[in-house]
Amino acid sequence: MRLEKCYFCSSTVYPGHGTMFVRNDGKSFRFCRSKCHKNFKMKRNPRKVRWTKAFRKAAGKEMAIDSTFEFEKRRNVPVRYDRDLMATTIKAMKRVQEIRARRERAFFKQRMAGNKERERAENIREIQKNIHLVSTPALKTKEVQKAAESSKQMDLD
Amino acid sequence: MTRVRRKRMHCNNKELHHKYKTKRRTKDLDQIQEDLLPENRSKFQSMPEDEDLPGLGQHYCIECSKFFVNDLTLKEHKRAREHKRRIRDLKVPAYTQKEAEAAAGLTTDNGKSLAMSGRVAGPQSLLSLKQKNEAAKAAMDVTAV
Repeated sequence: MRLEKCYFCSSTVYPGHGTMFVRNDGKSFRFCRSKCHKNFKMKRNPRKVRWTKAFRKAAGKEMAIDSTFEFEKRRNVPVRYDRDLMATTIKAMKRVQEIRARRERAFFKQRMAGNKERERAENIREIQKNIHLVSTPALKTKEVQKAAESSKQMDLD
Repeated sequence: MTRVRRKRMHCNNKELHHKYKTKRRTKDLDQIQEDLLPENRSKFQSMPEDEDLPGLGQHYCIECSKFFVNDLTLKEHKRAREHKRRIRDLKVPAYTQKEAEAAAGLTTDNGKSLAMSGRVAGPQSLLSLKQKNEAAKAAMDVTAV
């Protein structure tokens, strides 16, 4: 059973799924679904389409450099069947998958770190900028006080 | 006059469907990059007259793979934004299946080490590592006893 990779989005194409396009010079392209095929027909560049793996990896949205990628390789070397080898390989695959999932989670956390503070700071800035639009007087005085305090702290620093 | 719909028209746009048919697929960037190689360039210099093509197929822009009716229109085209954009796109190497596979984390390792240092590739090395570990463990047990 051969599992191909989609030309456009790099997802796995299982047997019996997707489409293959053979160009008039004999080069073949495999697609996982009609969405990818349509995008190819529109001559879009997968590097520039934000939902493809190629884009996400290149733009640093996903973990690209890691030692867990060193295991799965196309080796082109025939290996004689060996029951022990098979068992250890399957065990190793599961373990590698686990480790990679953990590292990916950590990578995502790292990528999202600091988002909350940034958002909060942006919100505060927006309120202070448009304080004249805030109608509740109590809220207004509170905001003004808060702004004064923060500026005082900035002075102290 | 009745109202003409401007939004949500993509499914009814016959011209677009016509354009995107693989039946009339134009050359891809990687094919054009091949055409632009010095050994292939000469093929487009002296093309036989083809009466089905615009301008008997004598005025061709290799970068855009387009025929023009005369030299004037070809010159005009070469000054156009479309042509310049195409030149910019052609500067970077074309996207390949290999790149798609690399993005999915699948690369090729033909085992250079296999020939170089006698080390066995991939799964074999895993097995040998396991054997080594077991041997070490057994040795530890022996010393403990």
